[in-house]
Amino acid sequence: MATLEAPELSAAVGNLPDFTTEAYKDAYSRINAIVIEGEQEAHDNYISIGTLLPDQAEELTKLARMELKHMKGFTACANNLGVVADMAFAKEFFAPLHNNFKTALAAGKVPTCLLIQALLIEAFAISAYHIYIPVADPFARKITEGVVKDEYTHLNYGQEWLKANLESCREELEQANRDNLPLIRRMLDEVAGDAAVLQMDKEDLIEDFLIAYQEALTEIGFSTREIARMAAAALVG
Amino acid sequence: MFGLIGHSSSFAQAQEKARDLGLEEMAEADMLAWCSAPPQLLETFKVTSRTGQTIEGTYIDSCFVPEMLSRFKTATRKVQNAMEMAQKNGINVTALGGFTSIIFENYDLSKFQQIRNTTLEWERFTTGNTHTAWVICQQVERNAPLLGIDLSRAKVAVVGATGDIGSAVCRWLSQKTGVAELLLVARQQQRLQDLQTSLGGGTILSLEEALPQADVVVWVASLPQTLSIDHASLRKPCLMIDGGYPKNLDAKVAGDGVHVLKGGIVEFWQDIGWQMMEVAEMENPKRHLFACFAEAMLLEFEGIHTNFSWGRNNISLANMERIGEASLRHGFQAIGLNPAQLSRAAQGGVELAAA
Repeated sequence: MATLEAPELSAAVGNLPDFTTEAYKDAYSRINAIVIEGEQEAHDNYISIGTLLPDQAEELTKLARMELKHMKGFTACANNLGVVADMAFAKEFFAPLHNNFKTALAAGKVPTCLLIQALLIEAFAISAYHIYIPVADPFARKITEGVVKDEYTHLNYGQEWLKANLESCREELEQANRDNLPLIRRMLDEVAGDAAVLQMDKEDLIEDFLIAYQEALTEIGFSTREIARMAAAALVG
Repeated sequence: MFGLIGHSSSFAQAQEKARDLGLEEMAEADMLAWCSAPPQLLETFKVTSRTGQTIEGTYIDSCFVPEMLSRFKTATRKVQNAMEMAQKNGINVTALGGFTSIIFENYDLSKFQQIRNTTLEWERFTTGNTHTAWVICQQVERNAPLLGIDLSRAKVAVVGATGDIGSAVCRWLSQKTGVAELLLVARQQQRLQDLQTSLGGGTILSLEEALPQADVVVWVASLPQTLSIDHASLRKPCLMIDGGYPKNLDAKVAGDGVHVLKGGIVEFWQDIGWQMMEVAEMENPKRHLFACFAEAMLLEFEGIHTNFSWGRNNISLANMERIGEASLRHGFQAIGLNPAQLSRAAQGGVELAAA
């Protein structure tokens, strides 16, 4: 048995950040904007997917409405801290992924649309919210805790549809994974500095995102080897 | 279903394994990328007991490598995420192998039960230390006599005596085996004194004092890379049980009357259809495995779905006996000195007699 010198645990369960500093607010203006923009785009994306799946449109509209509610909640979080969200930054942040979504939508590619929105973006949101909750201000914490539960519903919707249709869309999903997973990685890299100010660690974000994404792929029916191969694209993308 | 959580023995080996699995990207990825790699459920396999009972198991690679030990957050996250994966897969009992149980214990991870939306249920996990301690004691009892060491007259040094496995080994050797004298070696004096009191005996010594006196040395602490052992000062014959992790004693001292046995390793009665032990550099990877992993199998065979080995210094002699009986019944046995080692020992004996 080896032995380790245990470091002070305070590093792991440290104090909350000071939410009133300019540095915090500055970083928050971009992170919060990403969240708001993400929820707005999620709303639009679910409505769009509904046009490809008319028999599911009602269910998708329900999911879309939840995203709008989240958006309002996160807007309130910014107001509470006296921060103005940097929406221009957020739009640019999502642009590459959003363009891929629009292209897939125009081509009528439901699996790709669902992989981008229901799997990648939802898994990204779930992992980020889980990591944010312990270091959030009390107001935002409460709102985020409510939101994260809903996001599992969205992830689950995409999972179930893709599971039912896996055999006909396996290759398309693998391609969509190759095209989009590296974008997620770049997005995480882009916000790593701001996230660190909020005491959210990049390593945690990537690993937790991949865990949520891998769980979804498992549920859909990919084998463990296929999943490991698909996920690797995020680590070295 | 039982589970095993393990890891590669080095970063280079992890990359090599990734290449074998067809994960070229991971094989090429740098250490930083590995620090963010999620656990992987690598194999599911069946194990059939000598009694005929068959159970199913799963191997989860935590994607931890020993090079991450200096990164507290990374190391803990790897262990916690692998545990969460085991629980989410509905595994009844999972053994924490290699460094993972050490990280859990030393970083006091029992304080962090909530992992995202999962509350870890400790009763689903075991360190496997009860079985490891029992196996090490068996290795002492069976192999010392083969080298002509009479345990009732022998001095047995336990290096790392105050640890979870070390203290259990001390209790067993003093109360069940009846060794002549236990030499207790560890870093923390207070814990050593407490152990001595609870044992009602044993001699507290430094490593340098203990080694030249010992007929048998049980190592259950890791060896610093810089540790050098003066071969000439050791007793001959001397049996060394390398129960530390990683097992690196053989290269340091074996030979010329000093016999090193890999501690806490068991052999199963038939081949197991898995790949994972090949990366652990086992001599016979289809049959040899860590005793802590075997404990998870035994608990599943026996339907004991509880954290059988947990926390520090909770291993009782009764539980060691219980897991030991199950171990034999289901077809495990502690590995012993191999014929080549025994033949060298016999030759050494002749030389000594001639001298």
